[in-house]
Amino acid sequence: MTDPIKLINVSHYYSQGLPVQVAAVKNINLTIKAGEAVGIIGHTGSGKSTLISHFNGLLKPSEGTVLVDGEDIHKDKETLRRSRFKIGLCFQYPESQLFEETVAKDIAFGPGNMGLSDSEIALRVERAAEFVGLKRELLSKSPFDLSGGEKRRAAIAGVMAMEPEVLVLDEPAAGLDPRGKNEILRMIMNYREQTGSTIVFVSHSMEDIAATAERIIVMNHGEIALEGTVDEVFSHGESLRTMGLNVPEITRIFMMLRQRGIDVPSNIYSVEEGARILRGLAEGRRG
Amino acid sequence: MVRDITFGQYYPGSSAVHKMDARMKFVLTFGMIVCIFVCRNFFSLGLMVLFTSAAVAVSRIPLKMILKSIKPVAVILIFTGILNIFYTKGGETWFSFWKISVTEKGVYTAVFTMIRIIVLVIISSLLTYTTTPTMLTDALERLLSPLKVFHIKVHTLAMMMTLALRFIPTLIEEIERIMNAQKARGADLESGGLIRRAKALIPVFVPLMVSSFRRAYELAFAMTCRCYTGGDGRTRMKQMKLGLRDFIALTVCLAVLAGIITLNHFFPKVI
Ligand SMILES: Nc1ncnc2c1ncn2[C@@H]1O[C@H](COP(=O)(O)OP(=O)(O)OP(=O)(O)O)[C@@H](O)[C@H]1O
Ligand SMILES: [Mg+2]
Repeated sequence: MTDPIKLINVSHYYSQGLPVQVAAVKNINLTIKAGEAVGIIGHTGSGKSTLISHFNGLLKPSEGTVLVDGEDIHKDKETLRRSRFKIGLCFQYPESQLFEETVAKDIAFGPGNMGLSDSEIALRVERAAEFVGLKRELLSKSPFDLSGGEKRRAAIAGVMAMEPEVLVLDEPAAGLDPRGKNEILRMIMNYREQTGSTIVFVSHSMEDIAATAERIIVMNHGEIALEGTVDEVFSHGESLRTMGLNVPEITRIFMMLRQRGIDVPSNIYSVEEGARILRGLAEGRRG
Repeated sequence: MVRDITFGQYYPGSSAVHKMDARMKFVLTFGMIVCIFVCRNFFSLGLMVLFTSAAVAVSRIPLKMILKSIKPVAVILIFTGILNIFYTKGGETWFSFWKISVTEKGVYTAVFTMIRIIVLVIISSLLTYTTTPTMLTDALERLLSPLKVFHIKVHTLAMMMTLALRFIPTLIEEIERIMNAQKARGADLESGGLIRRAKALIPVFVPLMVSSFRRAYELAFAMTCRCYTGGDGRTRMKQMKLGLRDFIALTVCLAVLAGIITLNHFFPKVI
């Protein structure tokens, strides 16, 4: 089986030829396998958004090739168009894309562009709204009357409704309060479980990435600095710190505990899990 | 961010021309454009070409950028050239075929006019290449400030211009962002007839309007919060000062003007 997304030696320069030329991504080799949940993390300006804009051909690499299902995405217009529907890209602050009179119509924009039948579109709108947890009565409202969190969900639903093979989300939880953030993350994981689709998502937060991704790609100055499972990447605490990133607080605490000779696992990424271990430890000592 | 200030014309650098006082640059650019039209023969025009080349060399703007600025007027250039060659008559006939004839005067006029246009474009783009749009409006505001006597709100006009210029890159970025978001949802913005294309722009236009109005409110609010009440009693963070290099530039330009007038006087006029 061919991989849904494969990047070969991809580099991208902004303002090419001007003195302000920026190499936003350099020499990226990357494969996204079917069914994976991949997290992309990196400091501000490390090229994450630039990288994912290559996945569906919005940006054309200055050097290198992007393959979608084994086909060069920029081969012809038709391939490019098909790839747009295969790879669903949801940008940072996607609520700025809302434009229709009603939420339902806005969610239907993507499926409508795919040329689906009306009944199929209606079905998909309903399904997508359910995935993101938008209440039915909101569907007939104007998208501009929704709250910030609801707008975000409506916008994500607009991409989900295309039912892409790979769903790519750029900081889906940015700018939301902790509860809204957790809900969005839960909703994405839920979507993945139910549809079995591939997920790529970008985040600043190590906690979020650890909770949701199976594989992590760490970007630094436009290059892939680290890549591997959550455990593998977090074991490089030092080099993450030099890139302006950090392992989750709770993981750091457990690493420090280990340094003091207390026998606890080092791969603890959530507070709940950490609390459970510590409780067990305390009971063990008492008992 | 860099790309916020460098849009359109401005070409960042630190040459003497970049560092000149924007007001002086503005006035001298205007003056030199007038000079182009004072030139009457190839000798004075040659002096003008020499001056322009020197100015470009000092500014260290790459030749590629200069050529790029001429490109948009290429059509006008060719058109003027052709018109002058065939329609200006006088002097010796160099070439004649059927109803078309090319005369000595026609060729001279054509060449002369074309050089004039090229020099004009290069001089004015030198100003915009070496001065940020904000500096330009700032300079304009100060140069026009005497108009205050006639109750013209120079400051308000300049502020509006500055804000408009400041938001052009922001808007371009916003348009790009929204277009990308809609393209990712399969919007086809490039094909189809006129009506289809206009319709396809709705998904870009509506969010753009929404965010622009929001931005305008936020900006007005932020300006009010910082006690902006218009131009009266406002002081400036960046003082403009005329320095030695501005006076040197002024002297050079006056010398060129004197040279042009002298050359005009001593050689026969072409145009
Ligand atoms: N349209 C553009 N024109 C010029 N430079 C750009 C453009 N977009 C991004 N850049 C530059 O490219 C680099 C990478 O930007 P990118 O947006 O990919 O970073 P990012 O990792 O997504 O950052 P963030 O976490 O802030 O979203 C940055 O240095 C940025 O300034
Ligand atoms: Mg980004």
